Amino acid sequence: MATTELLTGSEQPEAPSAPRRSGGMSPLTRYLLVRVALVIPMMWILVTFVFFLMRVIGDPISAAQGGRLTPEQIAERKAAAGLDAPLLQQYWDYLTGILRGDFGTAMTDGRPISDVLVVNGAATLELAFWALLVAFSLGIPLGRLAARHRDAWPDAVLRIFSILVYAAPVFFVGLLLKLAFVPLGLPVAGRASTSVELALQDVEPQTHIMIIDAILWGDPAYVWDVLKHAILPAIALGLLTGGVFLRLVRVNLIQTLRTDYVTATRARGIAERRVVRKHAYRNALVPVVTVMGLQVALLLGGAVLTETTFEWQGLGYTLADYLVKRDFIAVQGIVTVIALVVAVSSLLIDVIVAFVDPRVRF
Amino acid sequence: MFSLLKSTRGLQRGMLVAGMVLVAVFLILAVFAPWLAPYGFNETRVDGVPFGTQQPPSAEHWWGTTVGGQDVLSRVIYGARTAVVVIVLAVLFSLVIGVPLGLLSGFLAGPVDRMLVLVMDALYAFPSLLLAIVVAIVVGGGSSGVVGGVLAAAIALTVVFIPQYFRVVRNATLAVKVEPYVDAARVVGTRTPRILFRHILANVRQSVPVIATLNASEAILTLAALGFLGFGIEPSSAAEWGYDLNKAMSDATNGIWWTGVFPGMAIVLMVMGVTLVGESLNDVLNPLLKARGADTTTSDEEEISAEYAEAVASEGLDEDVAEEAAAVDADVRRVATLSLTDLAVTFQTSGSSVRAVKGVSFDVAPGEVVAVVGESGSGKSVTSRAVMGLLPDTANVSGSALLRTGGDESRELIGMPERRLRFVRGDEVSMIFQEPGTALDPVYTVGWQIVEMLRTHRDISKKDARRRAVELLELVGLPDPERRVDFYPHQLSGGQKQRVMIAMAIALEPDVIVADEPTTALDVTVQAAIIELLLDLRDRLGTAIVLITHNMGVVADVADRAVVMYRGEIVEQAPVERLFRAPRHPYTRRLLEAVPHLGQGAGAPAVADDAPPVLTLQGVTVEFAGRLGQPSFRAVDDVDLLIRRGEVLGLVGESGSGKSTLGRVAVGLQKTTEGTVLIGDQDITTLSDRRLRSHRGRFGFVFQDPAASLNPHMTISECVAEPLKVQSDLSAADQRAKVATLLDRVQLPSAYAGRYPHELSGGQRQRVSLARALALDPDLLIADEPTSALDVSVQAKVLELFAELQRELQFACLFITHDLAVVDALANRVAVMRHGRIVEEGTRDEVLRAPQAEYTRQLIAAVPVPDPAEQRRRREARGALLADAE
Repeated sequence: MATTELLTGSEQPEAPSAPRRSGGMSPLTRYLLVRVALVIPMMWILVTFVFFLMRVIGDPISAAQGGRLTPEQIAERKAAAGLDAPLLQQYWDYLTGILRGDFGTAMTDGRPISDVLVVNGAATLELAFWALLVAFSLGIPLGRLAARHRDAWPDAVLRIFSILVYAAPVFFVGLLLKLAFVPLGLPVAGRASTSVELALQDVEPQTHIMIIDAILWGDPAYVWDVLKHAILPAIALGLLTGGVFLRLVRVNLIQTLRTDYVTATRARGIAERRVVRKHAYRNALVPVVTVMGLQVALLLGGAVLTETTFEWQGLGYTLADYLVKRDFIAVQGIVTVIALVVAVSSLLIDVIVAFVDPRVRF
Repeated sequence: MFSLLKSTRGLQRGMLVAGMVLVAVFLILAVFAPWLAPYGFNETRVDGVPFGTQQPPSAEHWWGTTVGGQDVLSRVIYGARTAVVVIVLAVLFSLVIGVPLGLLSGFLAGPVDRMLVLVMDALYAFPSLLLAIVVAIVVGGGSSGVVGGVLAAAIALTVVFIPQYFRVVRNATLAVKVEPYVDAARVVGTRTPRILFRHILANVRQSVPVIATLNASEAILTLAALGFLGFGIEPSSAAEWGYDLNKAMSDATNGIWWTGVFPGMAIVLMVMGVTLVGESLNDVLNPLLKARGADTTTSDEEEISAEYAEAVASEGLDEDVAEEAAAVDADVRRVATLSLTDLAVTFQTSGSSVRAVKGVSFDVAPGEVVAVVGESGSGKSVTSRAVMGLLPDTANVSGSALLRTGGDESRELIGMPERRLRFVRGDEVSMIFQEPGTALDPVYTVGWQIVEMLRTHRDISKKDARRRAVELLELVGLPDPERRVDFYPHQLSGGQKQRVMIAMAIALEPDVIVADEPTTALDVTVQAAIIELLLDLRDRLGTAIVLITHNMGVVADVADRAVVMYRGEIVEQAPVERLFRAPRHPYTRRLLEAVPHLGQGAGAPAVADDAPPVLTLQGVTVEFAGRLGQPSFRAVDDVDLLIRRGEVLGLVGESGSGKSTLGRVAVGLQKTTEGTVLIGDQDITTLSDRRLRSHRGRFGFVFQDPAASLNPHMTISECVAEPLKVQSDLSAADQRAKVATLLDRVQLPSAYAGRYPHELSGGQRQRVSLARALALDPDLLIADEPTSALDVSVQAKVLELFAELQRELQFACLFITHDLAVVDALANRVAVMRHGRIVEEGTRDEVLRAPQAEYTRQLIAAVPVPDPAEQRRRREARGALLADAE
């Protein structure tokens, strides 16, 4: 949803006022402590929100098993899962469980959610990595190009391209890719061929990140097989994110190129290439990084669709699966984790911004 | 819509038109779906004959049939209907909930606001699709059927978008809330609902259409995603593109393309259409993306040109003005470092062209300071940038700028290719900018930036460059240069930043320094120090300096020669002594007459001691809470002040002295931490907002920024009538009559009543502000820097009007300003403020002619007076008084 922010032109982060003295703590430490302090209530709100939303749906056992079990059996299972306890008690158990790293166990297939995280989370991580690779190598150079040629034809073409990429849902792009590449023999489903996947089950140590596992296994054919499977999903998701990056870089670079300090740098005789590379890019980076942080949410949302489209067994695929099965314990666990990932990544972004922007650091 | 279309052009217009056409097509499809679609969306047979499944496109089924045996074309058309209905509902819901929530949150601030922000930020950060899915399941639980399904989907989308409206509206509210026109409404006691709707909502509103269109396009995508994942609208109740794509997915691997491609294209085109409209709206409305316009409006320039015309008409043009200029030229030209001849600049803007500079010629000799003076729109800054080749591509520069450095060899700068010109910049001609705060790159240390410049032009090692940087910083008087060389710009004060800019400007001992309003953004004591420094460097290095300024005092202080510009032309150029002693051109004469001159003020004598006090401040202290863990900041510190009826108290101080805060305290806009504020004999510090309201009619307030002190969405007569509406029982007709009288009072034609503020010039707007402040015949008028944003000739007129009204109406006035000369011209008594305290107070003559406090003496000594001979004496007399000013 952060796209709206991009389209409306991201706000420059507030420039903090002049440095002030504070009891022995460096401003950077202070800043980071404040950020951490702000992330904790955010996590709490998200987690609480997820919990109560799930309870509004109804109790998970009836939702999943309703109709198949007698009322007595349902009551029995509820008791076993602790779901007959008062709501606040359940909430407390849920919170303390999270602190212990226990996100519950899926009802339908009995998998612990932590296991889902390790196995399917790794798959999503891998997809996100490939997609980001595509997005960065597409969005950043093209964004620069568009900004440098503002309102000339490259800008016009690229703007239409970025709107097109934004307007095309990931699953439609997936469909088109499938139509185009199935005849060429590129795989369109799964993370690896079945035989490879089975073979890689035995890798030690197993990371569940398929490409690393394949490298550890040591067979180039396996590595190639895994790479081949990643190409289309990475393009589909990478195009979506890359389009966002393109706009983001363009808008911010245009704004930066218009600032007084860029003119002043030119007035000092610095070569235009250097003005753009050293001064404009570096300053444009600050808001770009900030908004890219918000893209984690977009990426995860997009991953649900991409994974479903390409049967990529990641977190999103699994989540959609559990949603269809109405297994709300599993859903609650996965969504909680996603919420935490979003919160933590926003914290990470704040840290990165602090290193990019001295106004935050000092 | 059409006005929007008109405000675009070229590519932008093309995109907008394409977007509008696409949106219109889908709207038509949605409305007329039953008539346009050949079959029903769920029909699988006609007259008992089945269509067949996955049939390729044919005459009966143009776009083939689906895996479920329905007609693809019909489903796509009905899908438009579903999408439009859901999106309209979703946008309406989120508007209705998000906008008021954001408005209240931003307006009320405090703990409620903080809570809401935290919750909304959390929601905002959460992946929107997941949120929508969960909500869809919750809401859509039991209900199916057309209404239930569509409504559930709309609600799911609404939850996702509320945080966005909330954020946008809240931020806009926060920004608008502190605008002077909102304060102005509060000063006269306008009630909260009226402020919210009339002042804030009216101005926040414009960000809503942008966000609504952009959200609509996102809503289409989210709806399709819900359908694709199987959590959307029940397939039997409506046709939905996402659902169809899901069904088509397995077809794709079998080469069946028509089931997926058509609904997919429908999504793409509709989202594109809405996005194109939204982006164009954004481009037109978003000030961040707008090309930077001129700093002043055309009406400002018109105002100055009216002054000009009057001056010329009443006095006639001296024929020999031009001749004299030519004579001066001939002398200097032989040795000049920089010679401009017939320099002209034309800006190409959408279809028309603007001639900003029309044939300017002057010369600068080594060691000479030439001041280029002029008011807004005179083209003085454009001239300097044209020489440096720093104008945007839309500028067309002609004429000549010859640079002569050493010997007889000279080079033409105009038209010099960029690759050669850049070696001239910084090395032979360098530049100092107006705003030191924005002219340094914030992400590099000042030392890094100096080193970069040195190494661009000279072949020296990093170590040597750094050593030289420290030397330079020392040379420009930056304290502790060894340490400060590693500071980032934001760690330095404004004056220090300007010193860094100067260090860079002299780093390579250039032949010419172009200083564009180098002291305008600085306090007067800092200005004096910076000017001292520039002159010192000129003496030491023999640099030629082109000083662009609007400040006649600065001109008298430093310039050898002055070039007076008006509307892109030079009206007069002469040695400074001659120019000030005997200006030849009527415009110059007017300009000089308009400049208030410290020491020659004719402010009224002190009022009698027995006049009744109107405003009494006793021990007033204002503290602002610091940020988390920071100590609080004391803006006003134990201030006592008394203003009597008929008296003008000039409150002077530099930036950050607390003078504006004190003004806000006096009218109850700012609560005191300690102390009492008496209006007449009523203590307003103890009054609740409600009780205070009835006393509001007793004060008026005129704000500094003429552009922001009037609500842009209200006409002039509405602005002036607001205090009457809020505080008096006058009938509408009486209000109109009163407004007409007031406008007449401030010498505005009655025809202006129906205009909007942006159609007026700065000076006219300040007249309107004055009329509004006087609407209720107040006992007390607070004027916070009312003329500092105005050009000097306009300022003179406004001050004259002000003094006249004050004499006539005898209101007490707290006149807040940084300009001692203005105070000298207006005030009966003067108070000098520094660091939140009053350092000196007394009658005008006492404070300005025989100052007691050290700080007052510094302040007075630092003001350059517009008279070269007198200023030279003052400069010598002040000696070391300013040494510790910064």
